[in-house]
Amino acid sequence: MASKEATVYIVDCGSTMSERSHGRKQTNLDFALEYVWDRITATVATGRKTAMVGVVGLRTDGTRNDLEGEEDYAHITVFQDISQMLMSQVRKLRNDLVLSSTEGGDAISAIIVAIQMIAKECKKLKYERKIVLVTDARGPMQTDDLGDIITKLKEDDIQLVVIGVDFDDAEYGFKEESKDATKAENEAGLKQLCNDCGGAFGTLVQAVDELGIPRVKSTKPVPSYKGFLTLGNPELYESAMAIDIERYPKVMAATTPSASKYVVRSDMGDATQSNMTMNGEDGQNGSYDGLAAVKNAMTYQVEDTNAPGGKRDVDRDELSKGYEYGRTAVHIAESDRNVTTYETTPGLDVIGFVDKNQYERYLDMSRSNLIIAQRNNEKASMALSSFIHALYELDSYGVARLVPKENKEPRTILLAPIIEPDFECLYDIELPFAEDMRSYKFPPLDRVVTVSGKEIEVHRNLPNDDLQDAISDYVDSMDLSTFGKDDEGASTEYMPMDETYAPMLHRIHQVIKHRAVFADAEPPPPYEILTRYSHTPDELVRKAQPALDRVLEAANIKRVPHKARGRRGRKEAPKPLSELDIGALLAQDPKRKHKRIDPKNAIAEFRQLIIQAEEDSAVRDACTQLKNIVFEWIRHSVGNSGYGRALEAIRVLREEMVDLETPAIYNEIMQELRTKLLAGDLGEGRGEMRYHVVTKKLGLIKASDLPGGATDDEVSKWRAAG
Amino acid sequence: MASLPYRDNTSRPSNYGRGGDDDEDEDEEEADESGFKSSKDAVLFAIDVSESMLTRPTDGDEKKSDAVLSPTLAALKCAYALMQQRIMSNPSDMMGILLFGTEKSKFQEGDEETGRGGLRYPHCYLLTDLDIPAAADVKQLRSMVEEEEEAADLLVASKEEVSMANLLFCANQIFTTKAPNFSTRRLFLVTDNDFPHASNRDARNSAAVRAKALYDLGVTIELFPISHPDRGYTFDRSKFYNDIVYSASPSDPDAPAPLTADIKPASSTAKDGISLLQALLSSVASRSAPRRSMFSHMPFEIGPGLKISVKGFILIKRQEPKRTSYIYVPPDSDKPQIVTGVGQLVADDTARTVEKAEVRRAYKFGGETVSFSDAELAKIKNFGDPVIRIIGFKPLSMLPVWAQPKQNYFIYPSEEDFVGSTRVFSALHQKLLRDQKMAIAWFIARRNANPTLIALIPGREQRSDGGEQIMPPGLWIKHLPFADDIRAPPETEMVKAPDPLIDAMRTVVQQLQLPKAVYDPGKYPNPGLQWFYRILQALALEEDLPEKAEDKTLPKWKQIHKRAGPYVVEWGKVLEEQYRVWQKENDRQPRIMANGGAKRAGGAAPAASNGRSAKKAKADDGGDAGEGGITDAEMRAAFAKDAVGKFTVADLKGWMQGKGIKAGTKKAEIVDAVNGWHETKMETD
Repeated sequence: MASKEATVYIVDCGSTMSERSHGRKQTNLDFALEYVWDRITATVATGRKTAMVGVVGLRTDGTRNDLEGEEDYAHITVFQDISQMLMSQVRKLRNDLVLSSTEGGDAISAIIVAIQMIAKECKKLKYERKIVLVTDARGPMQTDDLGDIITKLKEDDIQLVVIGVDFDDAEYGFKEESKDATKAENEAGLKQLCNDCGGAFGTLVQAVDELGIPRVKSTKPVPSYKGFLTLGNPELYESAMAIDIERYPKVMAATTPSASKYVVRSDMGDATQSNMTMNGEDGQNGSYDGLAAVKNAMTYQVEDTNAPGGKRDVDRDELSKGYEYGRTAVHIAESDRNVTTYETTPGLDVIGFVDKNQYERYLDMSRSNLIIAQRNNEKASMALSSFIHALYELDSYGVARLVPKENKEPRTILLAPIIEPDFECLYDIELPFAEDMRSYKFPPLDRVVTVSGKEIEVHRNLPNDDLQDAISDYVDSMDLSTFGKDDEGASTEYMPMDETYAPMLHRIHQVIKHRAVFADAEPPPPYEILTRYSHTPDELVRKAQPALDRVLEAANIKRVPHKARGRRGRKEAPKPLSELDIGALLAQDPKRKHKRIDPKNAIAEFRQLIIQAEEDSAVRDACTQLKNIVFEWIRHSVGNSGYGRALEAIRVLREEMVDLETPAIYNEIMQELRTKLLAGDLGEGRGEMRYHVVTKKLGLIKASDLPGGATDDEVSKWRAAG
Repeated sequence: MASLPYRDNTSRPSNYGRGGDDDEDEDEEEADESGFKSSKDAVLFAIDVSESMLTRPTDGDEKKSDAVLSPTLAALKCAYALMQQRIMSNPSDMMGILLFGTEKSKFQEGDEETGRGGLRYPHCYLLTDLDIPAAADVKQLRSMVEEEEEAADLLVASKEEVSMANLLFCANQIFTTKAPNFSTRRLFLVTDNDFPHASNRDARNSAAVRAKALYDLGVTIELFPISHPDRGYTFDRSKFYNDIVYSASPSDPDAPAPLTADIKPASSTAKDGISLLQALLSSVASRSAPRRSMFSHMPFEIGPGLKISVKGFILIKRQEPKRTSYIYVPPDSDKPQIVTGVGQLVADDTARTVEKAEVRRAYKFGGETVSFSDAELAKIKNFGDPVIRIIGFKPLSMLPVWAQPKQNYFIYPSEEDFVGSTRVFSALHQKLLRDQKMAIAWFIARRNANPTLIALIPGREQRSDGGEQIMPPGLWIKHLPFADDIRAPPETEMVKAPDPLIDAMRTVVQQLQLPKAVYDPGKYPNPGLQWFYRILQALALEEDLPEKAEDKTLPKWKQIHKRAGPYVVEWGKVLEEQYRVWQKENDRQPRIMANGGAKRAGGAAPAASNGRSAKKAKADDGGDAGEGGITDAEMRAAFAKDAVGKFTVADLKGWMQGKGIKAGTKKAEIVDAVNGWHETKMETD
């Protein structure tokens, strides 16, 4: 668990903050708030009760603080005492943190107020204490004799962070020319203060800039297994090895916030008014924003031949648990619940060793963990170290059987040694079992094998020497292993993993935080770093361009023209391996002379008619025949028994019409189907059939997909039930 | 309880009444690969029952019962095995068995009453109609393959030749009526007759026409040809079967030609030690899962302006045991029934029904919600169109072994959008293999899916000794973890092993190489999964429950002892010596930390030579638990004195971990759990 936190933000609201400095479009206060809001909402987002925030306004019109009796503490307002921050507070602060019309108010006094607030709230308890002051340093400040403050800050272990509007920062490379003398003096005073108390001092431009670099949440390591690493069986043999080890997650995908389903409460009027109301009243359980959670209510049915519709509702309470074995239900009584559990005892047992160089990386499954010796156990550490070094020196990996907890299913894992200057461990990755391997076969990529079994080396699917050379040069010129620059400017790996951030995770966080404060504003564009690695850097592209041009020339790639595949006449009838001309055989078949589709073989014969059709009328005729067959199937369907066939035929019809680019024929038929279904012409209670047609992507072919298709208006009319 | 799955709803024939799943759902926040495509497979086994198929091999090893099976029975056994397997692993897929060339004829149930079935499809006997198998189907098949009398009655070859055209049309009708709209439908044809209707060209032509109809219907014919080397007979596809088998599967027109070279006619004699049954089983197994792509039409941008298309597949995926479902046991019967659930969206406050269009998405934030319109969310989540875009290349050695956040995908070129894709892909594949490089790429799997960074690593084609492809050539998508996904290791002190100790361990490691020094997944069935399957099957078929599980993942203790035992003992001695040296050098008290480390290393712990567990050995050392937590001995002692409560909750929890003891959060509960654990242990001791 993360430790408790108390942070007080002091925000300078003085009249000088209304200026728009250095060509910025926003006021200095808005600029400062960009930083402050980001930090505060980041805390809100954690949802932690122990992450507490206080907010103090500096140079406010009014005065409200525990020391307000003294003159030095005028124009300092405590907007929020240290507490957990919720949406209602965010809304209130939005109204509090506005420009004042005063220049009065001493930043040092505000720091003292903040120190008091922290002392009051945190007492002597274990807290991470922090004061963040954001100011333009243009108010009056008594910067002499800060000794007591420094002592107090150190004593209470409070971290002081001062962020100034347009403060100079040589390291970051910012210097404000023609700086106001008061500001220069105050700036220097604050800097000295930070230096003396071990705090941080920076310029706002940099702070806002760095908001774009996501903060990575650190997670306390929780062991995924604690026990022995054994080689041999200590229960059976004297010669077995057992080392006390602990195993921790190494890679664990961080979770992206997910949206929940809500519906506007029935007692609320306006659906668009969701989370913006100006007074700061407290809302409870999400009801404040006028939304009610949506849940999925389940009803359960069993087949019952006597019930109408063949199905009968059963109550959840009447149900028991079990498994499905094909169409057969298998009941497992409460008392037998464990019968399917494979009983195991925890352990990590070495099965054997494999050659590192022969290990195929694609076998890796699931997330990786790391294994270290039991902590504070030097003997185990030494023992494990010998295991790690032996594997390393032999270029070997271990294969082991892991049962992390009693009665968990065993897994096989790979043990890979890693040795760094002050760290060594085994990394482990789960390996697949026999059942996990799907044997899909694909032809070789470096040769073509014909149906007759002959191997060909020159083929349109194989690269010629030019292409091979060009690709080789291209790959070499697009090398990232030395393209990056480290802090000293030396070449290093480009985009190492610890400098890449999960784009969606931080994007969602970013927009939630933004929307929470600025409810009416458009979501901001994503941080640059989130899309930085979506393209090759320009410099590298330029370098690789000559090689790329050669690849393009040698590759001679042609885009398949849209829809060229299907136009009538151009499509070649598929042939069996022997290339026997089935079309000719079909032509001789006396049964097919009249081009009547046999309902029993409807789909195949329809396809065959379409491919042979030379005129539009023949296509239309085939479609009409299939349509009539489909209508018959629906009409004679007992319950939903005929729907599957009908839907399949409709799907085939749609595919063929899309291929032939004749959407009108299909759309006409679907209009007729809709009319008939709604009118009950194809039997009563065909609602389910209509539901399938509407939901299984069998609707009208849209004009946006294919010229001549239906308009959006027609599509929505067709979908509507009325 | 509300989340208990009743059945994967995508696999249900009818989704009617559910919340409505029209148009592409953009809500893919938790969607993993399962969201890509849901599809069902139907397999119809057609098994030839001719005189020659019923003849047992003459030179089979009589001692092995498998080796003397007639080809028909071997095929039935194979179908039986496949049915048992698929009923577990593919619960929504269908299967059927059709015998042909039988004296008897039988079609679907409805037809039998009128007696027309026999007339329509003479010498075709539909043993198991195409459907999701039920326990009764498995039992029926079991009695066919296990009791000869049962089979003898049915397995009589017809004197008249069965019409292949008729057989194919029979299959056509079965697929049309029982499995409409399935994404894959396959006819597994097992025969040793490479030239039916040898003297009747017209009959062969009608068969070809019927085969074309199957193709147009979307049914793939998978041929399992059998040769008889003992009779000098080799199956020749070119005589007849090349006229009815198509290269591309209709549902996947871009699928490469079948690797015909890989499909060897199974031999009915067990010359090379492989029985016909084994050969058939492995051939069926390799084709049991229809190949489905996880994504297709995926633009693969190798460089700016250099775009080809690829398809993605999942070749390795953890097979999980089934989850429990709700079932209904009627009060007046002991025959449990499968329950189907229908979900409906309702508002939490008033329980009124909610239409999908009313649903809005909101994020919990600061005790309330923050919401966006659908259009806004779509824009927020849009990082561009689906693509695999190469950013550049790095040596494979730069990919640390731990960089593995989730399972890998496999990609293979496709000519469907760009002609020339295959040759460019091939050139890239060869280059990466040759130089042991990987491509780093930006990957968006679907519209509005989370963008990820991936490494594309080259995979070499691998074939078995028999020439069968076991790993296809292609590129593998390995997801790279982001900084957010990488966990820091816990703080710990390291003691580096001195060289003599490493040397001793090296000798141990060298003794215990796995065969060929590789991990072969095929050798390790998932023991937990297999146990679950066996139990469920035994319950469903009312068989006796198995006593003991077969677990191939258990190390071969005896071999390890024999091969490496002495070296481990030697290592143990070195460890003791070196550890004492280290203690001296580092000024440690010898006794204090003595409870850890490698135990039971031969002479290292003679006191514990009673052959019990290493845990006991630890107790014998009796040292201080230090920061490492409570030792078993301490706990046992505390239990004996009824003083478990003296430990802190944190220490107790630490000790419980690894014992698999679960308890609540209150200390009293934890103490109870620990006491309870000891009580049961005492009984079993």
